[in-house]
Amino acid sequence: MKATEAPLIPPGVKRCPTWQFVVWIGLAAAVLAWGVYAMILIWWKGLNQTNMNDAYGFALWIWADLAVIALGGGAFFTGFLTYIMGQKKLKAIINYAVIIGFICYSMAQLILAIDIGQPLRGWFIFWHANVHSMLTEVAFCLSCYFAVLVIEFIPLILENPKLQAKPFLHHLSHNMHEVMAVFAATGVFLSFFHQGSLGGVSGVLFGRPFAFREGIFIWPWTFFLFTWSAAACGPCFTILVTWLTEKITRKKLVKQDVLQLLAKISGWMLLTYIIAKTADTLYWAMVTAPSKGFAMMDFYSNNPLYGIWILIAEIVVCGFLPALILITKKGRENSFFMMLAVVLAVIGVCINRWVMVLQVMAVPLFTFKDWVMYTPSWQEVATTIIPVAFGIIVLSLAYRYLPVFPQEKELNPVGGSAK
Amino acid sequence: MKIDRRSFIALSIGASVGIHISPAPWKLMDDAAIWTQNWPWTPVPERGEVSYVRSVCTLCPGACGIMVRKVNNRAVRIEGMKNHPVSSGGICPLGLSGLQYLYGPARVKTPLKREGKRGEGKWKEIGWDEALSAVTGQLADLRANNNPQGVAWIAGSDRGTIPRLIDRFLSAYGSPNFIRPAGAADTLEQAVYLTQGQLGTVAYDLENTNFILSFGAGLLEGWGAPVRMLHLHGKRDKSRTIVQIEPRLSDTAAKADQWIGINPGTEGTLALGLAHVIIKESLYNMEFIENAATGFAGGADKDGQTRQGFRDMVIENYAPESVSRITGVPARTIEDLARRFARADKKVAIFGRGQGSLPGSMSDGLAVHALNALVGAIHQPGGVSVVSDPDFAKWPESSIDETASQGRQQPRIDGAGTDAFPYSRYLMTQLPEIINSASGDAPIKALMVSEANPLYTLPDTAAARKAFDRIPLIVNFSTFMDETAAYSDYILPNHSYLERLQDVPSPEGLPYTVIGLAKPAVKPLYDTRHIGDVVIEMAKTLGGFVADAFPWNDYESFLKDALADHWRQLNGKGFVEIRQPSSELAPYEFATASAKFEFLPSTGTDTGDDKLPAWPQSAPLPIEGDAQRFPLVLIPYDSMRLANRNIANAPFMTKIIDDTILKKQLVSVEVNPQTAGRLGIGEGDTAELSTPRGKAVVRVHLQEGIQPDLLSMPRGLGRWGFPDDWYINDKGVNFNDLIGPRPDPLSGLDTAWGIRAQLTRV
Amino acid sequence: MTQTNATKYGMVIDLDKCTGCGACMVACYSENNVPFKKDESNKLDSINWIRVFKISNRKPYPDTEVCYLPMPCMHCGGIGDHGHSPCVSVCPATATDYDHSTGIVSQIYTRCFGCRYCMAACPYHARKFNWWDPVWPGDMEKYLSPNVSARMRGVVEKCSFCFHRYQLAKDRAYHEGRHQEPLGENEYQPACVESCPAGAMTFGDLNNPKHAVYTLKKNPHAFRLLERLQTNPKVYYISSREWVRRAGDNYLSHEETGSIKRAAANHH
Repeated sequence: MKATEAPLIPPGVKRCPTWQFVVWIGLAAAVLAWGVYAMILIWWKGLNQTNMNDAYGFALWIWADLAVIALGGGAFFTGFLTYIMGQKKLKAIINYAVIIGFICYSMAQLILAIDIGQPLRGWFIFWHANVHSMLTEVAFCLSCYFAVLVIEFIPLILENPKLQAKPFLHHLSHNMHEVMAVFAATGVFLSFFHQGSLGGVSGVLFGRPFAFREGIFIWPWTFFLFTWSAAACGPCFTILVTWLTEKITRKKLVKQDVLQLLAKISGWMLLTYIIAKTADTLYWAMVTAPSKGFAMMDFYSNNPLYGIWILIAEIVVCGFLPALILITKKGRENSFFMMLAVVLAVIGVCINRWVMVLQVMAVPLFTFKDWVMYTPSWQEVATTIIPVAFGIIVLSLAYRYLPVFPQEKELNPVGGSAK
Repeated sequence: MKIDRRSFIALSIGASVGIHISPAPWKLMDDAAIWTQNWPWTPVPERGEVSYVRSVCTLCPGACGIMVRKVNNRAVRIEGMKNHPVSSGGICPLGLSGLQYLYGPARVKTPLKREGKRGEGKWKEIGWDEALSAVTGQLADLRANNNPQGVAWIAGSDRGTIPRLIDRFLSAYGSPNFIRPAGAADTLEQAVYLTQGQLGTVAYDLENTNFILSFGAGLLEGWGAPVRMLHLHGKRDKSRTIVQIEPRLSDTAAKADQWIGINPGTEGTLALGLAHVIIKESLYNMEFIENAATGFAGGADKDGQTRQGFRDMVIENYAPESVSRITGVPARTIEDLARRFARADKKVAIFGRGQGSLPGSMSDGLAVHALNALVGAIHQPGGVSVVSDPDFAKWPESSIDETASQGRQQPRIDGAGTDAFPYSRYLMTQLPEIINSASGDAPIKALMVSEANPLYTLPDTAAARKAFDRIPLIVNFSTFMDETAAYSDYILPNHSYLERLQDVPSPEGLPYTVIGLAKPAVKPLYDTRHIGDVVIEMAKTLGGFVADAFPWNDYESFLKDALADHWRQLNGKGFVEIRQPSSELAPYEFATASAKFEFLPSTGTDTGDDKLPAWPQSAPLPIEGDAQRFPLVLIPYDSMRLANRNIANAPFMTKIIDDTILKKQLVSVEVNPQTAGRLGIGEGDTAELSTPRGKAVVRVHLQEGIQPDLLSMPRGLGRWGFPDDWYINDKGVNFNDLIGPRPDPLSGLDTAWGIRAQLTRV
Repeated sequence: MTQTNATKYGMVIDLDKCTGCGACMVACYSENNVPFKKDESNKLDSINWIRVFKISNRKPYPDTEVCYLPMPCMHCGGIGDHGHSPCVSVCPATATDYDHSTGIVSQIYTRCFGCRYCMAACPYHARKFNWWDPVWPGDMEKYLSPNVSARMRGVVEKCSFCFHRYQLAKDRAYHEGRHQEPLGENEYQPACVESCPAGAMTFGDLNNPKHAVYTLKKNPHAFRLLERLQTNPKVYYISSREWVRRAGDNYLSHEETGSIKRAAANHH
């Protein structure tokens, strides 16, 4: 059986036996199938399959969307560092960052397609676009950037030995590599806007004092904070996934100095972000919310879930703490602390996105109304897990068949112990 | 051409690019979107010519003028009729839901004959001929066996030509047993008869009142003509004060100028406590008391026995402090209220709880009525008056045969008008007990039911069902499948109210008369028949004198005949307004033996009935249940959002019920947080509510506005008659499942305003 | 400021008059072909273009007071009353629009693709989503009015101030050669207002001194809901009770009821 698969595997690297790979993919595919079943159910029967309601029109899926896009931000920011800031060292990880980005963005679009009540009319967002809507901006930038990600991903796919054998494809991939900086720059530009627009989605809601933020021109502060946090935490997610891949494959795939560099930059981004976020929170709590008749603690009391703990968790535990670890050399060099910081940063950005969607919906605006609590249905959970299963499959295929990690050969000379 | 792999790939890529730059995918995308905009399962209402039919709503006795909007031959909406003398263009949620009854799934579409056991829901569709011959056959047999009095007919009302036609049918047939549900108006009717000697319904000139003292009447919750009351409320300004007395913060109480919480069932005592203050402080209407009343001061009656006068009785027994102990209303509040009430320019006290569907005790009715007399609010602008239905229908004389005559002379099956209850006309709530306690055969051999749903509305529905089980034949003329219809042997479906012609009597409580004409807005949708036509046809089939009493071909010709002078105006405008003096008697003239208002009714003594005390004791009647086992008290409440009579809520009506009242299938019981705390029950908890008559699983809703230790539950839920109506069926509990009747010792009318209860968390 | 003479339809609801009977809700259902489900007790997925809330002063018996508060769509003018309502500005597909000639916020069901961003934006929860396909049991499809299309599953709907009635009134005026003049006050009234048996609701052009709402909105006891969010609603409320007026907005504990409105008025 190796005879059939061997030409597909990049030369000079070792991969696990086919059966092992098939079992692994099979498990992920089973989870994926469960999600796809839920997805079909939702498309067939409608959104009544969810536990969303008129108060919770935005719920788990929108959070998942915002979160995967923030986490997929590693692609644009690493691209920015690599191609624009000239951090050539990062070429060792850029491929992986692009693939993770591709997974995140494709899944974000899929979830959006599940989330809307009339999926067959989804294209109205382009056709009948309302330029005032943050969601329109998101849709345009998101799809354009996804196209960029595809373009960035294609040359990597073409590097599969079997495809490289075709002269046309070989040249195509070579030429694409040459111009990749242009696409990377475009991607950075687009990403800046759609990450920001996603922040704007909740920040512009002047009817929702928990979400609403003042800002510059048409952009509320959340616009910048979202871009910033995605730039800070996206690379952390790239590091996390790389680390997980290394653990699973039991191989070193990227040199430590590359990861350290990325972690250091992330740390500084995170620190500056969290300072800005703190300033934003203080201004909101002391000026914006009171001007609408709300004391800050109104948003964090009288409900079973959203206590002040969530703000502390987001800003201190998953903000300042990981930032401080990552900016210190000692912190970065201790692999436990480094990974702790990376995980906390990832959790932090997820909490932020959660709060900016789900807590926004939960807060009562009238003194005579109660908090609205929400538990997703299994269909929502299953479809939200699709990106995980899909991600595992794509990453596994990419790792197996593509020369994703340029340093792999060097770090793992064939004949060494690899699985 | 040979296709190798390379050219295959090239071809595929080419095709893919080609498809995308071709219009095909874009066209498909567009078509898919257009398809979602025209899903075949989303109906597209047909357009057409718009027209309106003027009619009257008969879903409740409120008699609002309505305009039915039509598109071609479909009725699409019901609106209020502008400038209508009762409803002034307004309309209530029930009236607005009307088309859901017309087109709803609960309609009985053809005559049905029961197949399985009663209530099992197995029916055979039969034709009208078969249905009518089966029913009239059995009626003929009963007459042949000289038992016409074995037939009873329960109708929703005794007013208007259709009930009169039914009564005429029974007369000619030979049964005295025309029965309808009774309410607070019946108690008041007797109070008025005893004190004023007049027969008729009590009306209130609320449009001209400055002070309304309501002893629990749900003035804004369906009392009287509901839309008249709501309209009146909207027109209200500072010149009218409304004081609401009841133990629960009802919607009426919430809108009143003052809400006085009172221990339930002690309203009559409070009325006399107010009388005490008014008398003691000489705030009563001297002119009326001196010139137009007797029995105030007391003295010797014509048998020479000394009777304590109303004044002394009240002064002796109803001092504010003692009244306060019974009612829970502070003595100060009683004094203050009495003064304000007596000093108001035009004032009126209103008796009756909620919508007035509970008759209540005679003593309470008399107490409130006496209060009105005390302040001279009888036959005065802004006060109480007596109106009687104008009898414009010309009923030709008819003679009856020996069988009928014999039957008519039998005592009524419900005991009304007998020696025990001489002044009562209908005692439907007595029926189950009488039937269940009868030895041998049931006293009713055949029961006819029209526009009524006794198995839902009778207190203690389990006992009522048991009684019905003993009746050999039950025939129902219901338009809808309901609880009583489900328990019948034959259903001869009447047209729905929007498909039939009928006159509509003036609504209760109105000080002037408004006769309406309900006209068919649409042609009958199903194989139903107008009940008037069916009664006439049944009479004709029975033949002889019975047939002779009905010289008309059908109901319509009878009605035109009957309404002779008014027909044209009714047919055109939809209503006739008759503003005549509310009574033919002068303000201070009464039809009693003394020609005065009698605080101590002489009527009772005239009939030699010495059981009537000098003044009917006004101590609250004890309610049912052992205080040890059932430490709490359960009372019902009425709501504009819940149809609680014969018909069940339409889907729209159920949709507007708050989630604090109905959540999924569970109805909420209102509990004061203090009581709930003691019971260890919290908001939204599920609990078991038990009373001596029944048990139910309910939800708990904490409500500050209810007296501690009191529970309250809405009436109108707990329907089971039409299992396919998922919109109302099996939601909540029927209050009547949990309560039993408490007949008044004087009138026999039901007085049960509540029952002892217990609430335990499950 | 330049637009003060433009027609701006709005409503004034007198909470002292509202008895909570619910006629406005049913009037709306029957006028606008609003669907219903077997269970409507979850008010978070129950389609109501106008919903009557019951609010309480939460004092213990017998000092408890309650008040009913009907809430239709507020047809917000948005910050500065320029028509950027919270919902209109966020709709990505222009499926909801602010009509500057009437001030009415519309909803195009066939264009809406159900993203529900508008629902997230609306502080009044005026917008409802069709989570289910509508079903009319028995022969009830026959009562559907052709004036308003039935909505399919997956789209958002809301109160339109019975805009179709406005269009019918405009058509009538046009045929009678009155297309230049503004509509008379009684020519165009929404179904809820028309049916209110207590006359608690008044509707008309807020900018037209001849219309009752023009005067009513200046009542010293008039207020709007959540005014401090600067949504600029076109539905005004009147209540003689201070606790009711306070419940209409959010106040910090030291702030006096209505203080913000007064400050804004003085500023103006």
